[in-house]
Amino acid sequence: MSELPVDDITRFIGRYSIGRDANPLTTMGSLHFLRVKVPGGFMTSDQLRGVADIAEKYGRGLGEITNRQDIQLHWIDAKDTLEIFPKMKKLGFTTDMCGQGFAGPRYGDVRNIVCCPAAGIEQGEIIDVRSLLKRLSDFFIGNPDFQDMPKKFKTSISGCRSGCTRTVINDLALVAVEKEGKAGFTLLVGGGVGSTLPGPRLARSLGVFVRPEEAFDVVLATSEIHRDYSSRESKAKARFKWLLETWGIEKFRKALEEKLGRPLEDYDGPIFQKEDGHMGVRPQKQDGYYYVNVPTLGGRLSSMDMVLFADLSDEFGDGDLRLTPRQNIIIANVKEKNVLLKRLEEAGFPLKGSRMRWNSLGCASDFCGKTVSPHCKEILRETVDYLESHFDERLLNEARLRIHINGCPNNCCATEIAEIGLLGLLVREGEKTKQSYNISLGGEFGLKTAMGRLVEARVPAEKVPRKIEALLSNYLTKRKPSERLCEFCNRHTVEELKAYLNIKGE
Amino acid sequence: MESGRFRLQRIGEKRYLLDVRGQVCPYPELLTMRALKSLSSGDTLEILVDNPPSVRDVPLAMKAGGYEVGEPMTVEGGWKLTVKV
Repeated sequence: MSELPVDDITRFIGRYSIGRDANPLTTMGSLHFLRVKVPGGFMTSDQLRGVADIAEKYGRGLGEITNRQDIQLHWIDAKDTLEIFPKMKKLGFTTDMCGQGFAGPRYGDVRNIVCCPAAGIEQGEIIDVRSLLKRLSDFFIGNPDFQDMPKKFKTSISGCRSGCTRTVINDLALVAVEKEGKAGFTLLVGGGVGSTLPGPRLARSLGVFVRPEEAFDVVLATSEIHRDYSSRESKAKARFKWLLETWGIEKFRKALEEKLGRPLEDYDGPIFQKEDGHMGVRPQKQDGYYYVNVPTLGGRLSSMDMVLFADLSDEFGDGDLRLTPRQNIIIANVKEKNVLLKRLEEAGFPLKGSRMRWNSLGCASDFCGKTVSPHCKEILRETVDYLESHFDERLLNEARLRIHINGCPNNCCATEIAEIGLLGLLVREGEKTKQSYNISLGGEFGLKTAMGRLVEARVPAEKVPRKIEALLSNYLTKRKPSERLCEFCNRHTVEELKAYLNIKGE
Repeated sequence: MESGRFRLQRIGEKRYLLDVRGQVCPYPELLTMRALKSLSSGDTLEILVDNPPSVRDVPLAMKAGGYEVGEPMTVEGGWKLTVKV
């Protein structure tokens, strides 16, 4: 036996990894992605410049804001990681641990904890959740006790009275509420819309009130329950939602209380008090300051874009940047907002357009190889541009329309909870494989929550923008006063909606 | 994690084994590269992996490095890769 000199390699194990992009022969030519874990999406301008530098040197100058507030780089060569990981460490970043490739229910970690991107600056927020987010992230990152769970565990924390973190699709969501004048959190559990068993599920209220000082222990205990009791029978049953399905909500609450060593206080008040994507320019709770949420529609940025945002943040704010769960970027603590908006517009990032530009999500299917062209982010851009060119912005905004587009049933962009959900599938036509999408309609999250229904399957990709145009034309002529698109969809049958998707003349 | 976990085991005449099961990318590739550098011409290295991306990536990287690479073999709990120096 001989000892290998591997200390320079092993010191990164457990904190850094790279994930698999798909077959380089059929996709973008990337073998690996690097998911920079940005806890809660909070980063400084120096950190963003650092990520831009890594992207420029090792990732062909591209970064993508993910819907869990990370930045994902591609074309990462495994050999370069011994240069990249020390740079990331210096910046204060780690990566998600991508154990998805393993055959069995193993190596699940606590994924980046999603946080309200306006925490600490949102007017009227109940709790500034940043310190809790930091404490939890510091605890779980690199913690060997939580790196071999049956499968990954997703947590979100919002303190702003809204479900801006897409609470309902998390394994555990903490939502700030007030009870008898006191601030605390209520919990939603067991969400997840991927294809694993028991299928798509929205997180359910546990009906408890957790005081802020108890929140850390509650997240820890829930993660331990997932680690120790979620199924290791198969990957398909290994997510926390399956445990909730088999146990039921009451048994889980009992297990949580036993682990905590005390009963939890009941809560039956309202969970969400507003719908808020923190869009546009908003006055902060700090007098005279604004935050500016810049839409990026799909989150794809060049390293130059990243440097631009870092520089603008230094010039107009204080270097405080936030990646949002909707793949956008917030420049916080801005005084001279009008000058900043002008500069953003000149740089190709106007704060104009419908709410769809801030609200819609698209996955990186061109890299993971689950789609052929046109890929998700192409279709998303094409569809939004097309709809904005055919409808008045005010009407689009009244529809409260969100498009979530995803390349595969893993469903990282949660098609079920959008008013318009597009789930990719490949359809063989003779010798060719054509990109198609299943269209689901009527999903919703915010004040209310609903799962969309599959309305039309295997729609050729090139028809998607015109199908949605047809739907919106029908909605605008047939809607009731003040009726939103999801309400309109949910009072019609699948057959009626399918007819509304018909393109005129076809 | 202790480096002692990644020992090269001599399993025959000019034949060695590296067990990187449980490791995600890029570690199987990096550790294999490191192991190969410590071997001599004519030696054969067998690598045990259980992370599917490594079955794709390690042989690709070794071929790019000019090594002779055998077909991956399925073994209990993963795969065995073979590289000749």
